[in-house]
Amino acid sequence: MAGFILKRLLQSILTIAGVITAAFFLTRLAGDPAILLLPPEATPQDAERLRAALGLDQPLIVQYLVFMGKAFTGDFGMSLRQAIPAMTLVLERVPATLELALSSFVVGIGLAFILGILMRMSRHGWVRDVITWVALGRQAIPIFSFGLVLILIFSIQLKWLPSYGRGTFAHLILPALTLGTYELALYLRLFNASLAAEQRNDYVRTAFAKGQGRIQVLLKHMLPNALLPLVTVAGINLGMLLGGTVVTETVFSWPGVGRLIVQSVSQRDFPVIIAGVFLISLVFVVINLIVDILYGFLDPRVRLA
Amino acid sequence: MMGRISISQGVAIGLLALVAVLVAITPLLPGYDPYSQNLGGSLLPPGGSSFDGRFYLLGTDTLGRDMLSRLALAGQVSALIGLGAVAVSLVVGVTLGLIAGYFRGPVEALIMGLADLQLSIPRVLLLIAVTAIIGPSVVSLAIILGLSSWVAYGRVARGMALSLREREFILSARTQGASAAWNIRQHLLPNVLPQMLIVGSYEFGMIIVLEASLSYLGLGVQPPLPSWGMMVSEGQNYLAMAPQLAILPSIALFILVAGFQFLSQTLTKENDLEMVA
Repeated sequence: MAGFILKRLLQSILTIAGVITAAFFLTRLAGDPAILLLPPEATPQDAERLRAALGLDQPLIVQYLVFMGKAFTGDFGMSLRQAIPAMTLVLERVPATLELALSSFVVGIGLAFILGILMRMSRHGWVRDVITWVALGRQAIPIFSFGLVLILIFSIQLKWLPSYGRGTFAHLILPALTLGTYELALYLRLFNASLAAEQRNDYVRTAFAKGQGRIQVLLKHMLPNALLPLVTVAGINLGMLLGGTVVTETVFSWPGVGRLIVQSVSQRDFPVIIAGVFLISLVFVVINLIVDILYGFLDPRVRLA
Repeated sequence: MMGRISISQGVAIGLLALVAVLVAITPLLPGYDPYSQNLGGSLLPPGGSSFDGRFYLLGTDTLGRDMLSRLALAGQVSALIGLGAVAVSLVVGVTLGLIAGYFRGPVEALIMGLADLQLSIPRVLLLIAVTAIIGPSVVSLAIILGLSSWVAYGRVARGMALSLREREFILSARTQGASAAWNIRQHLLPNVLPQMLIVGSYEFGMIIVLEASLSYLGLGVQPPLPSWGMMVSEGQNYLAMAPQLAILPSIALFILVAGFQFLSQTLTKENDLEMVA
């Protein structure tokens, strides 16, 4: 087990190093940081001085190593628009994004759970069909379109829920529904497949033979086993979810990292963009690592792979 | 590849064909210019007519521009970017995937490591960072979207190459002194290409959504060129007054994406292909 954890840990560190390398090339693509930082009336001498101060006169490989070292400590330089470190700006927005991502995660899993059980227990074929088609249809609607439809119905027509901002629980409902239902079709398919796989096991037959009812067998015996793959895939899928927060936050003016990144794009504030992208990738890598290690504990076969 | 066509398949193909015909034909109609403004007839509802008596089938936007022809032009732009991106990702993904599967060893480890790395950055974020820095245009969007989507092709191609390389016809070619490049081009490529086109049909829908998301965020094609995502974003400000501004491009997106998802799903099932997303 220790070997497995060590191996996955090394992999994650390599991945993060790769992300930082990508970030380095992106910053260089953005143009000469000295020119970006200085006001237009600065002289070439000013630029030269700033370049020396920033270490930009060093060979590229040295710059890369320095960038790498700083990035590992979270230092992506100052914001070009505000005299605040880029990472500080990003970190301020993290709680809002995590709140949105986690509630969407819970909404997605919760709905898949309820609908999956409904599909399993219903004796009518059409219930199955309707749920499947609704979930598939939802998947074909982009996040921003679905968000606007929800705003149109629940904020503008019914006036039940606020359409933008963060604060109360009511503010959270529409964004979490928008983002959380996006991957519902995938979750449902997985959940159904794993429930169907459990159905064939001997312990299910034994439970039925003991005279337990359908619902009891489903909830007490099959569910705990069928839930594990669902949670794993949902965990891995958090990357999709974290990417989706960017669009969702823009639709609902949710003050998270994604919205900060989009706003920084229009202000051409590159250090903030790169710090934001780095941080979300980092969160994603760490979550994957945790999911993998947990899975290694729960299912010993994983360790061998 | 396809046997009989079911009813739902027929519906999907029919809707896609309808969108394709509208997108292709509308710009040819006289008097429907996607750029010409008519400030006397702005924000007309579908089927409305302006004061000067012009009829607009899907209404007009805030500047009095015809929605139908703007939707059609935006569709052409999206399709162009989508096809370009699929072509780029297909070429890159198949090449890297076949090389990884054929050579194995460190080459494979390097290529698949690259794929894992790319998957560890959420795709939308990667695209935002790159387009923010390079600047969006039709060509750069097609290339960036394409380069960010090669992994799906790469993984499927590698998986197929792994089993194909052990087959007799490859072994026989190799014992007769065929080079690796020859084997990959003449023997592996024709065998994986049909499956790659199925992956492409799935990815096309994904890419259309990604492109629309970018343009919703203001990072897609730039005005005056219209795009569905941008039209939704503009329509958001008029949601209470003129919801059709945001809804119409959303419907166009929905039909296109649902159609392609559905087609690729049935194709995947019929061809018994494991999709590695």
